[in-house]
Amino acid sequence: MANMQTVFINPERCIGCRQCEFACAVAHSESKEPSLALAEDPVPKSRIHVSPGRAYNMSVPSRCRHCDPAPCEQVCPTGAMARDVSHDLVLVDVHKCIACAMCAMVCPFDAVTFHAQTNGMPARVVATKCDGCIERLDKGQEPACVESCKVDALLFGDLNTLIAANRRDVSDAVVAATKSQLPAEKLPATIAGWRLWGESAAHITEEI
Amino acid sequence: MDTPDTLSKMSISNDAREMLVRAREDGIETVWDRLAAQQPQCGFCSMGVSCRNCAMGPCRVDPFGEGPQQGVCGADADIIVARNLGRTIAAGAAAHSDHGRDILEVFASLAAGETSGYEIRDEAKLLALAKEWGIEAGDRSINEVARDLADAMMEDFGSRKDHIGFLDRLPEQRRKLFEELGITPRGIDRENVEMLHRTHMGVDNDYANTSLHGLRTSLSDGWGGSMIATELSDVMFGTPTPIKSRVNLGALRVECVNIALHGHNPLLSDVIVQAAQDPAMIALAKEKGAESINLVGLCCTGNELQMRQGLPMAGNHLMQELVLLTGALDAMVVDYQCIMPSVTDVAKCFHTEIISTADKARFAGATHVSFDPQRGLEIGKQIVELGIEAYVNRNPDRVRIPAGTMDMMAGFSVEAILEALGGTPEPLVEAIKAGKIRGAVGVVGCNNPKIPQDHGHVTLTRRLIENDILVLVTGCAAVANGKAGQMLPESAEMAGPGLSEVCKALGIPPVLHMGSCVDNTRILTLAAALANYLGVDVSQLPLAGAAPEWYSEKAVSIGAYVVASGIFTVLGVQPPIFGSHNVVKLLAADLEEVVGARFAVEPDPEQAAKLICRHIEVKREALGLPFIGTGECPTDKVA
Repeated sequence: MANMQTVFINPERCIGCRQCEFACAVAHSESKEPSLALAEDPVPKSRIHVSPGRAYNMSVPSRCRHCDPAPCEQVCPTGAMARDVSHDLVLVDVHKCIACAMCAMVCPFDAVTFHAQTNGMPARVVATKCDGCIERLDKGQEPACVESCKVDALLFGDLNTLIAANRRDVSDAVVAATKSQLPAEKLPATIAGWRLWGESAAHITEEI
Repeated sequence: MDTPDTLSKMSISNDAREMLVRAREDGIETVWDRLAAQQPQCGFCSMGVSCRNCAMGPCRVDPFGEGPQQGVCGADADIIVARNLGRTIAAGAAAHSDHGRDILEVFASLAAGETSGYEIRDEAKLLALAKEWGIEAGDRSINEVARDLADAMMEDFGSRKDHIGFLDRLPEQRRKLFEELGITPRGIDRENVEMLHRTHMGVDNDYANTSLHGLRTSLSDGWGGSMIATELSDVMFGTPTPIKSRVNLGALRVECVNIALHGHNPLLSDVIVQAAQDPAMIALAKEKGAESINLVGLCCTGNELQMRQGLPMAGNHLMQELVLLTGALDAMVVDYQCIMPSVTDVAKCFHTEIISTADKARFAGATHVSFDPQRGLEIGKQIVELGIEAYVNRNPDRVRIPAGTMDMMAGFSVEAILEALGGTPEPLVEAIKAGKIRGAVGVVGCNNPKIPQDHGHVTLTRRLIENDILVLVTGCAAVANGKAGQMLPESAEMAGPGLSEVCKALGIPPVLHMGSCVDNTRILTLAAALANYLGVDVSQLPLAGAAPEWYSEKAVSIGAYVVASGIFTVLGVQPPIFGSHNVVKLLAADLEEVVGARFAVEPDPEQAAKLICRHIEVKREALGLPFIGTGECPTDKVA
């Protein structure tokens, strides 16, 4: 697809609030309401996962990258993992899924988890992963994780445009380096100070 | 699975590591597991830019500058961070001051002859306090004087005074400065209530103004609630004098009924010590097969008892779950503050009875024995009996007590330090002037699992004494240094040549135990006494404070009153203020121009030691004392 709309992750901007996880779970609930979602059975699960980094104050959100070709799709014995051509997303057909976890074994990002889902049937543990918020996209909304992210660690848009935006930051640094100047400050001083504490605290632990 | 290597990164002490191994073997969760499970922790919260003070919110400001920059009400990062910091200080000050009020109320009841198990153990101190507070003793009975003092101190909690009583201990310059800045604490409860008012939506919307009131609120703790707690505890339970004690989980004795006293308030624990010495109680313990009753301290309740009675310490904050893992603790008696809700869960894995005693601090899964000072001794015995009953259920096969204890010395009240100096601060001042002692630093505060347990306290203290800086410790920092063997007269060998010489001459350790965390007021009192003696302001003295492993709201209040009193303070753990460049700048730089002191944040104790050594030399230079140039850092020579 020429202008592929996707969720792009800026790991250095993630501050670990995990609001994307909450929003994702709600977006995949029956009610779509935070207060009601928590009372549903089974409780809806997030398909995006914020994992801690090496030091305090570092974290990375991780979700299905909807690879093409997708390793999960290639190994799925029942054809439950399949590409939706209209949205260019890898989706799970929960009725075909036999919870064998082959997809999880081959996923380079460990993005597939297994949780109970109903989908109009009795609850059954099946592969649970990002569906690109296909329901929301069809209504003209952004993916829930992107909407909830207030620090632009998760962005939705044309992949190449988003990559180009980040490339500018890199080129600033390269230009500065080759001209023996300091690179333009990429992070605000507040964030830099906050991260520095985490780095230093990790450093003293490593030294013990 | 954890390797010995990862366990060693959790704590530097072997007794803790041994119990952490057991926790893994038995599948028992501790504070370190829960910290790992919480990662990553929310950056909005840890930078202080989330606000949930009203129902238009909750709100958060994007610290990267592209998302929302104001809450629904319009508060920006500066206002939100200042609001949150203000409320944190108020919570910490409230905790200390409510503890002070509890002591004061029992003191008032004692004066009225309504208590059991309490007495005035230090009449001289009571009379000195009465004099300080302008109460004529005349030929009246000690109880009448006590009643008047109690009434006068009660007034400090209200709103009828223009300044709290103990503030007069400060040099005049400092009191004038507080007046000029409008931060003279007027009433203990008042400043806390006003902080809650100011941080309500639409009241104080100037981050600097809110932060200054934060200092005032903290001063109402340091020179108010906490100081009342310390001074009246001395009157009722005795002013500490140097005393030998021991520390480590090895303080538990396999052959005895083991009861740990945990929390902060000495009111109940003191009567439990009396009850445990009762022959009838000891006879009951023997009847159940134990040799005797062994009491051990935890956290600041333990510090209070260690300071006055030499009671051995089982450990500090992060040992409270691990002490249960010995399988040898029969009862843990808790009052309040810093008692993890998890202790009842860990206790369920063993026979240990958790006994809560404060009606304001109850724990699901604990046995509650409501403390009543009118029946103090009777309740003390009831609690000891519960411990003896629990001992019967101890499974000897599950007992695993890490061997050995470390000797340490406690009991350095201001009175005891002056006594050691021969009744006057002069020898200390002369040693500082001559450069034998370059300065003094209060290393205080908690444990925090984000820092390897005790590493911050022990390393920083060691570097400071090596550089001839006298270290005063309280709270968890005192326990950490005791465990590291840095608090014995023989520890003078670890100190630099000047400090070592002074310590040996006086027979004191280079690291002096000044008590529990409310007893940080002893450090304030000593600092003010030195300043008054020299006729200078506190901020001119070669002093510093450090809280290398702090975690609690109380510690934020302590840090704030230490800085407001004029003492540079280094924090090991970052406070949730980094989302506001302006608040950080105010606290870490601009406050120097306002109160003559500022904060620094540095998790690495080696680096913190350098910051403090440099600071002390700068202060020495300004006083015209021999100094080491700031370009050259003394600690560089040590490493």
